[in-house]
This record gives sequence, structure tokens and C-alpha cells, in this order.
Amino acid sequence: MQGFRWGIAGALLLVVAVAKAAPPAAAPSGGPGRFARVVRPLLVAKCFACHADNVALSGLRLDSRAGMLKGGQRGAAINPGHPETSLLLRAVRHEGALKMPPEGRLSAAEIAALTEWIRTGAAWDGAPVGDGRLWALAPLTRPAPPEVRTRGWVRTPVDNFVLARLERERLRPAPYADRRTLIRRVTFDLTGLPPTPEEVDAFLADRAPGAWERVVDRLFADPHYGERMAQHWLDLARYADSDGYHDDTTRLMWRYRDYVIGAFNRNKPFDQFTIEQLAGDLLPNATVEQRTASAFNRCGPTTSEGGAVPEEVLARYASERANTAGQVWLGLTVQCAECHDHKYDPITTRDYYQLTAFFNQVPEQALYRGTDAPPTLLIATPEQQKLLDEHTAQITALEEEIKAEGGVAGTGAMVSPEEKARREARTKRLNDLKAARTRIDREARLRVMADVPERRPTHILLRGDYRNKGAEVQPGTPSVLGAPAAGGPANRLSLAKWLVNSGNPLPARVTVNRFWQMLFGAGLSRSSDDLGMRGEKPSHPELLDYLGSDFIANHWDVKRLLRSIVLSATYQQSSRTTAALRVRDPQNRLLARGPRFRLPAEFIRDNALAIAGLLDRARAPGGPSVKPYQPGDLWRELSAGDDAGKSYIQDHGPDLYRRGLYTFWKRSILYPSFAVFDAPKREVCAGQRPITNTPLQAFATLNDVTYVEAARVFAARIIQQGGVGFGPRLDYAYRVVLARPPNAREQDVMERLFRQARERYGADPAAAKELLTAGEAPQVTDLDLPEHSAWTCVANALLNLDETVTKE
Amino acid sequence: MSDPRTHSHVPPPFTPLGRRQFLGRATTGIGVVALASLLSGEGWAAPRRTAVGGRAGALEHLDFAPKAKRVIYLFQSGGPSHLDLFDYKPGLEKLNGQELPDSVRKGQRLTGMTADQKTKPMAASIFRFAQHGQSGACVSELLPHTARIVDEIALVRTMTTTAINHDPAVTFCQTGAEQPGRPTLGAWLSYGLGTANQDLPAFVVLTSGQVGQNLHTRYWESGFLPTVHQGIQFRAQGDPVLFLSNPKGMAPAMRRSILDSIRALNEMKHEAIGDPEIATRIEQYEMAFRMQTSVPELMDLSHEPDSTFALYGPDARTPGTFAANCLLARRLAERDVRFVQLYHRDWDHHGGLPANIRRQCAQTDQASAALVLDLKQRGLLDDTVVIWGGEFGRTVYSQGNLTKTDYGRDHHGRCYSQWMAGGGFKPGLVYGETDDFGYNIVRNPVPVHDFHATLLRLLGVEHTHLTYRFQGRDFRLTDIAGEVMPALLA
Repeated sequence: MQGFRWGIAGALLLVVAVAKAAPPAAAPSGGPGRFARVVRPLLVAKCFACHADNVALSGLRLDSRAGMLKGGQRGAAINPGHPETSLLLRAVRHEGALKMPPEGRLSAAEIAALTEWIRTGAAWDGAPVGDGRLWALAPLTRPAPPEVRTRGWVRTPVDNFVLARLERERLRPAPYADRRTLIRRVTFDLTGLPPTPEEVDAFLADRAPGAWERVVDRLFADPHYGERMAQHWLDLARYADSDGYHDDTTRLMWRYRDYVIGAFNRNKPFDQFTIEQLAGDLLPNATVEQRTASAFNRCGPTTSEGGAVPEEVLARYASERANTAGQVWLGLTVQCAECHDHKYDPITTRDYYQLTAFFNQVPEQALYRGTDAPPTLLIATPEQQKLLDEHTAQITALEEEIKAEGGVAGTGAMVSPEEKARREARTKRLNDLKAARTRIDREARLRVMADVPERRPTHILLRGDYRNKGAEVQPGTPSVLGAPAAGGPANRLSLAKWLVNSGNPLPARVTVNRFWQMLFGAGLSRSSDDLGMRGEKPSHPELLDYLGSDFIANHWDVKRLLRSIVLSATYQQSSRTTAALRVRDPQNRLLARGPRFRLPAEFIRDNALAIAGLLDRARAPGGPSVKPYQPGDLWRELSAGDDAGKSYIQDHGPDLYRRGLYTFWKRSILYPSFAVFDAPKREVCAGQRPITNTPLQAFATLNDVTYVEAARVFAARIIQQGGVGFGPRLDYAYRVVLARPPNAREQDVMERLFRQARERYGADPAAAKELLTAGEAPQVTDLDLPEHSAWTCVANALLNLDETVTKE
Repeated sequence: MSDPRTHSHVPPPFTPLGRRQFLGRATTGIGVVALASLLSGEGWAAPRRTAVGGRAGALEHLDFAPKAKRVIYLFQSGGPSHLDLFDYKPGLEKLNGQELPDSVRKGQRLTGMTADQKTKPMAASIFRFAQHGQSGACVSELLPHTARIVDEIALVRTMTTTAINHDPAVTFCQTGAEQPGRPTLGAWLSYGLGTANQDLPAFVVLTSGQVGQNLHTRYWESGFLPTVHQGIQFRAQGDPVLFLSNPKGMAPAMRRSILDSIRALNEMKHEAIGDPEIATRIEQYEMAFRMQTSVPELMDLSHEPDSTFALYGPDARTPGTFAANCLLARRLAERDVRFVQLYHRDWDHHGGLPANIRRQCAQTDQASAALVLDLKQRGLLDDTVVIWGGEFGRTVYSQGNLTKTDYGRDHHGRCYSQWMAGGGFKPGLVYGETDDFGYNIVRNPVPVHDFHATLLRLLGVEHTHLTYRFQGRDFRLTDIAGEVMPALLA
């Protein structure tokens, strides 16, 4: 979820910690390469879990030569040059009472390597190198889909890989989900919205071959697809509508958000999408769209805190960009190398600062806020442009008038008091006009990227401390991943092209894994933000490689990739399972069933609005962020000062009913109904959202006016469109909410609730009236009050069912 | 969870055994009730996961016999001036107005607000100090009530932080790192120790003070820990917990009927599907219902006797004041809430310090002392830690003009004062020594991480054992540092 930098605090403390543990000795010579290739990976894999920085069991750290020499409670771990008296070797050889590692003995070859390393002086080369052990760095292969016995089950090559594994495990896939479940699943997955009853019925009625493909292709053509995809991408891009640090001023970044929506809807190839976001401003004859895309690197948090030290802040901005790019496209925790070589992955501190050298060339002030944040791009709407032109014309006219009178004024000639007053008023008007023009201008501007003309030098910052400069470095990529093609300047453009053109296997693996995660709830490697040594090896490595290479071979076509997955039998499995299989594979790593998990925060609200018929479907995607209902003035309770953006001014009308991804994203105080459903604050890049289950979530969907209003509006819809009588109406309600009719037991429960509620509200019309005025949507006054109230209660219950907030 | 989407490949540690035990019974519909009794009883060295009512923590067992069970952190946001409250420097009176010697500053960095200020005249505090209690702790006249409890508190005059600005400094105090993204102290405790109260959150936040620095919800969030561990703000206006109240026109009985229906339908679904996540959701809706009673009951001060308000001061009758929040903190401690975080704003006195700090002390002094005394008389101070302190101290030199009656002070992280009471901290202790200028530490520094390590020790936890793997690294509150300070312990 969150990328991490070791800030100055961490840096300084590290110095302290290292000092306490005695600084690492200069590495003795001997055995070059052996340590990095063989010994260090062995230590990482077998020892670091208990004997590295965070956890030093028995006081022993094996993550530095000094740590080994210092040893733990039992004394020094190694005696360089003397394997026979090195405690570490006695432990791994099981010669005494101490037998390590506890989970199993090392192989003879591993013990031999350790022995030889200690015998030759235990040189600690420090810098890790790619040793081929990190699966994610291996060249991307294109494995042939394996043979399977149950060939009839296979729909796409995805299924060969999944089924082959299941057959090895002597398991059978789950049956297909029924059509109602399937269309609900895929409509959420591809648009973030529920299917309408009409869409469900059409799919049920379509018995011709290719019905599923027709549903899928209809969804890919729906503009809501781009909104759905953007919801995920904006977490990665740490997109927000406020600055994040300190007073968290409002900024205007929504044009970048709309670029993302449009790019997915037009199925912009992912390599181009990558290049535009990382370096759109550097493309030859960059278009407005491409420069807009470059705002990706201006989405990070910024500060205007008065006391901040500019040099420190600028270093932080550059690191933040490098960390984000590293997480989004490399799926590696490059930020770990900010203070020291990465402990587990082949990324050195030099690599890290070479990467930041692409991102610290921005001609930006260190301290800035809100809309006054050059470099920016003016993207005025026609109305804004008209206003700007009008203001400019008036300003020019006034200035010329003043200039024309300049001679007279300059003579010092007496002016009448009336004339003096006139001139003062004119000056004031001029200043007002200029201020107004600046305001309009800023509201039409987007923070974008640019590079300074003369490259600034970049230094390694020792221990991550901006005050402690080491060697100068040039922009460059992590050495283990190879270099960009020679020729042309080394800048963000060459970096971006290298990411998608060089055969570097990470961007495709990372991206495919994330899309898989979007559909199945977990990636093939579940640590989708960390494919490094400490990440999880994929459950189906050949499948990941197959999809990755197929993605590249088909020109990074995102819709094609997603289509190949949702058309698979694997995707279409029922999420129901047996108790035995749940015990055997609780996390569904083998994919012997379909995914079932709670919807993301925005979709829970979108779903309620869609069910009620309130969702603003009329407007095309995009536009400024909106401020729907929020209780009290939460902003004012926690914010300081009187600047705009300190008080929450709620919108009205259709803006109350836009999709969740348009909701104003204030980093210091996130929209509360999203915060409780695990939406990230987007202070840092977040490729994975946790899925928790808390009482505060119940409060939101039970009592937030958004959901109460949705319930009462939906209730009116049930009465008006659900036919006559309780049975048909409940049937209608279930079809709208869950894409299925209720069963008899469910109907009994709801009927009991309905009768209780109707009785209560019949006896208390005042309460009924209150309930039916929730929210600002027009009130429906021609309905029977107790009836409408009772259906509101039923709708409130429906909106709170586990099944309603779950994709299954 | 049917598909645990955790941040790392490690199964989510917050999915405790309790859930599995619960599952075994959930299909019968009695699971929710059974959970509480199953998991009742606490005991050191007993398997932790079955040792706590409400929600078990991730720690299998405690490393030490815990002295403290809960923490109340009275955070003074903005950076109170140690030089005007707790760190008396009589020598400054003679030096008043003289330039801060370079030999004291030693080239240490300053904030952007005074780095370029031409002169840096030293400002002696205009407030009188006197020694109090058996400990003889020196306290400013601004804090008459605190002065009366000096024998109950451990006063540390040598807290030190690496940050020099509010946002990173508060983040550091709360998470052990200056950058956003890590879990806060309260979230770590909720995660590691769980909660003994199943009707209230494990981590409650109360704010007061109308101006001053922004409070980011980041200061009480769970970072990469699951959201269930984040601090829940109890508000003085509107719903004390967001969306706690039923909609207008919906009586409690109606709400209960709706909840019964939701529960019946969810149980049917659980029977059919067996997804443990459904059972958890049933449990959460029940807790929500209980909170609808427990939270208003907690916030209702009308049954507190007049003696309470005499103790905490008249402000305590006004919701949203620091005094009212101190009283609520005591009520939360009585209910065994693990971590209560108060924020009182507006200690950032760059200018006009004397007048501003007078007002701040008037708002906080009596109630802070009252809380300690009140916990003590109720027998709760023994196992409750109370912390009083901000994110840094303030400079000895004046920011802006120094006059006979007025001065300002910039941020100063090299040293600042903080006190702790109860829960195993040593009463009557005055710890650490700063130089004659209150600028550098001469003896016994207490870095933030060491303070965190010490606090965890009192809660029974070895700080290096409370870890969470995220993006391949085992993170902890104390990052890569932290040493327990035995001198602070009783």
C-alpha cells in the first residue's frame, strides 16, 4: 500500500543504531562476487528473518560483518579465517546444542559456501547484485499453455495453467457460477456498478453462443469502464485534491484524473500510457493531453509549512517521485535503498540516487500550496478563456489610459480632488482586475512536469540525509535491470521508454499481476507492491509470464488482457466452495473457486446510488471534484486558519450523486464514508487496499444520509415500478439490488420486517415524514406514508446485506 | 476473510484465533454471544490470543509482566515552551537580550522562519519558577495545579526529536517516522494487545482547541495496519461517532427490527456460502448496535457529581474543551479502552508567547492534574499511563522582537519537556539535564524511540517484538532504534 522513505529521522537514527553496533569494518579483500552471489542470498533467505535489523533474536544480527563479529548472547558469530571456531558454522552444522536454522538444515553445498567464505576472511562486499534468484527479474518467458486432462473445461489459455495445477493437486474447479452471479460480478469488475435488471434479463434470455462475450464487450464499450479503471489507478498515482502536508490546501488536479479515465476508455496502450505519465512533457511537440498526463509526477504531497527547509523538502519531492515510479512500474521497494543498500533486493544506494536524478530537475519552488504551484499548464475552459480575455482587455485599456496621462501627472501639475479620487479609484480597479485575472488563471491551471534547462547535479545522500552529500551520480536505472538504450539525453523520457521497451520484465509482470488482483482480490503474487525477495512468489508463475508476454506481444492492450481473463472458465467459477476446500486452501491460492470479496469504498456508494436510481448517469465522465453530504463541518473541526478549503461547502443537485471517484479527496480528512471502507488517503502510492470489516462500516451504510436517502428513493421506485403487492415488489427490489429474486425464507424475513414497519409508521406519521425527508432528492408525496416508510426500512436492510456490498 | 488481501503475503495477523473459534459456532447463531465469554479473562503469559475479551491482539504472549494496561496521551499540539514551563534556566536572566552564542548553537539547523533572522537575542522566561513537592521539581507559575502533582509524575526535561516542523514532528511522535504512512502508537497497541472492551473501540481520539496547527487524521490512523486499528474520533458536536445515530424518524425499536432482519438474512447467506467474512460482518453489526448505547452513555456527563467538576474545573461542563476531554478520558479508562489520545491545539507561540501560553495553561493545567488525581483516587493510576507533552520545545532566542514583557520562540527539537504519570513510570522523578540555555542536552537524552520502547515495556511488550511485515520489511514502532530507559521506571 504505502511506499516508504527513510526520512531524516530514520537516517539519523540509523546512524545512532549503527554507531552503537560499531560501524562496519572495511571489507577485507578476497572472494569477490562470491559473497554477493552465494553467501548474502543465503543469509537473506535463511537467517535474516530472525537476525536482521528489526528482529535480532539473542541479540544477534547477521546483516553486517560488524554484527557477525559482535555476535549475540553467545558471543561472536564468526571468526574470519577460522571456520572451525566460528559459532555460525557450528550452528549450521548442528555440531552442538544450537542448531540453525530452526526450520531445517542447510544443504551441504550451502554449508560449504559459508565455510569457504569465512575461511577466506568473510569479506562483506556490501552491494547486493542480481543473482538470478529473484524470480521477478528472470527474463519474461512465453510458456506454452500446459496440457490438461479435462480439456472441455478450458475457455482461454488462462484455464490451462490453472487447471494443470489443480489436476496436479488432485482438485477439481468449482462449477460455473450462475448467470445472474456472473453478470453482477463482471459488471462490478469492469464498470464498478451493478447490472440493471434489464441487463440481467437480456443476458438470461440470450441463449445463443457468445452471450458472455457480448456482455463483456458491451461493458468494455461503456464509459463507466474508464471510471472503474481510474479508481484503481488513482490509488497508485496518489491522486488527491489537496496538498497533503501541513495545512493541506486545495489543489486542482482533476484534469489529470480525467486523462486517466479517458486513456482507459480509449484503450490507450499501456506503454504509451506509461510514457505520457512519466514524460509527456518531454515528448516532441507534446500535446495538451500528453502534458496533462505528466501531472502524474505532480500528484505527490507538497508542503507550504513556514519553517520547512527548502533543500530538505525538494529532496523529499524527488524521492517521493522515484519511490512511486519504482512501486508502480517495477513493483520493488526501491525506497529501502535511500539510506543503505537494499537489504534484500539488488538495489544499491547508488541505484537509488541515480533514479532520483530523473526526478529532481523540476523548476518548482520548495514551499508552495494549492493552485499557485508552477510549473503549470493553462487549460482554460471556453468560459474561463472568455473571462481571462475580458479581464486582459480591460487591464490593457486602463494601463494605456494611465500611460497616456503619465505626462500630465509627471509634471507635478495640480490635480483637482475629484480627479485625484478618480485616479485612485482607477488604480484600485486595475489592481482588482489583475487579482481577479490571477485567480481565474490559477483555477484553469494544472500542475505539470518540466525539467530545468541546465541539469542540476545529483548526489548520493548519505543515510538519506540531505545535509550529507556523497558522490555525484548521473541519472540511471538500477544496474541489475540494465541500462536505457544509448543516445539522447538521460531524462524521464529515456527512463519511461526503457521501462516499456528494454525487455525489462518487471513492468509487464507488475501490471498484469495488479489487474489480476483487481479481478480476483489477490494477485498471482499477493504482494503486488513488492515482487522482491521478501515478496511472495506467484502461485502460478507460468501463467503470470504467459499473460505478461502476451500483454507485450499485443502492444500492451489492456482491454484485450482483461478480456482474456474474464472470458476464462477460471474467472467464471462459482465462489461457493466446500468446507473441506476452504480448510485446504483458505485463501484460494489454487483458484479452485471464483473470487468473493467486499466492494471497494467508492463502489459501495455507487452501488447504493445506482440502486436508488439517483446516480448521475447523464453527465459524461470527468469534471471538477464534488462535495457530497458530509456530517457537520469536519474540516473546520480539524483544520486551521480561514483559507478556502478549510470549510466543507457541500454541493447540491446532480453533484450529490456523482460516482465516488469524483468525490473531493482531502488527504488530511478523507471523506468519512470512504475512509471507513479502507480507501487510502493517497499520501503515498497504494497498489493494494486492505479489506476490513468494522462496526463503523455498519454505521455508514445504516445511517449516513447518503444511504438513508438512497433507501427512501429506492423505496418509492419499488412501489412505483415493482407492481402491486408485497411479493412482486420484493421480487423487484431483490432483482435491482442483487440481480436475483428472493427465496421463500428471505421473503418471510422481509415480509415480517415490512409489516412491523408499516404498523409502526402507521401509528406515527410524524416519524414517517421525518424518515422520508432524508437528503435533498425531491420528495415523493403521492405515496402512502406507512407504505413508503416500510419499504424504506426494507431498502435500508437490503443496502446493508453482506451480499449487497460483496462481489461474488 | 475468504480472500485475505493483506499488504504482504503473510496472513493477516489481525485475523485472530478468536475469529476461527467464533466461526465454529457462528452458523448456529450463538457465535456472537459466545465470543465474549470464550475470550474473557486476562493473564500475563497466558496465550494472548485467548486472553482478552473483545478482540485479541496479534502478540501471542507478553514479554514482561505488564505494569500498565492502558494509556492516555494528553498531546499538546504546537510545541509548548519547555523554557517557560518545566526547564528553569535562572542564568538566562542575566543574559536576557544577548545574542545566542555560536558555541551553543554549534551550527545546528534552524527552521525557515528564523534561519535568516539577523539577531537571535536570548529571552529569559518572564515567569517565576519554584520548587515543589518532595521531588523538588521546578515548575513555572503557569502550572499551579501541575505543581501540586509533581510527586506523582516523572518529569523528563530531555526529550529530543529530529524534526523541526509540526507536521513531521507530530507524525514522528505518533508513528516513529517523520514520513506519512506508518501506524500510530494507538494503532500499534490495538493491533498488538487487542482490546478488552467489546462495546467501544480500542483507540479513541478527542480533540480540543479551536485554532493552531491542522490536525491530520493521519495522526491517529493505522498506516499499513488494517483499518480496524485506527483511532476513532469521539466528537463533541453532532454524532460523537460519525453516523452513530439512527436516521431521523427511525426509533431504536425500528432499528433493532431492521438489524434483526439483516442478521437473519446474513446468517442464511453464511449457511449457504460458509464465507467467514459474513460471520464477521454479523459480529460487526452487533457491535455497532452496542456502540449506539455505550457511546452516548460514555459521553453523558450529567451523572458526574459536582465534586468531579470542582476537580477538573468549570470548563469540564462544556463539551469539546480540554477539561471535558480529560474527564472523558477517565471515563474511557474506567471502561478499559486501551488507548485514549487527546489533542489540544495552539501551543505554537512564535510571537506573543507570554499571553498565549497563559491562555493555554489556563485551559489545560487544572484538568491535566485532575486526571492524574482522579485516576489515583479510583485506583486506576497504577495501571494507566498518562502522558503530557507536545512534538518539540521552543528556542531560547526570541523570534521577532524581544521586549520586557513580550517575546516569541521558534521550534526547537533538540530538547523539550514531557511528563508521565502512572502505569509504572517513576513518581517524583526529574530526569535529564539541559545546558544553561535550554538548548542542548547535557545528560540523559530521551529520544522519541526510546520513550516508545519504554512505554511498550510497561505494557509488557518488548518493542522489537511488536512488528508487522509490510512490503517485505518487518516494521515496528521504534523503527530501527529504541532502548528502554530503566531510569524512568518505578
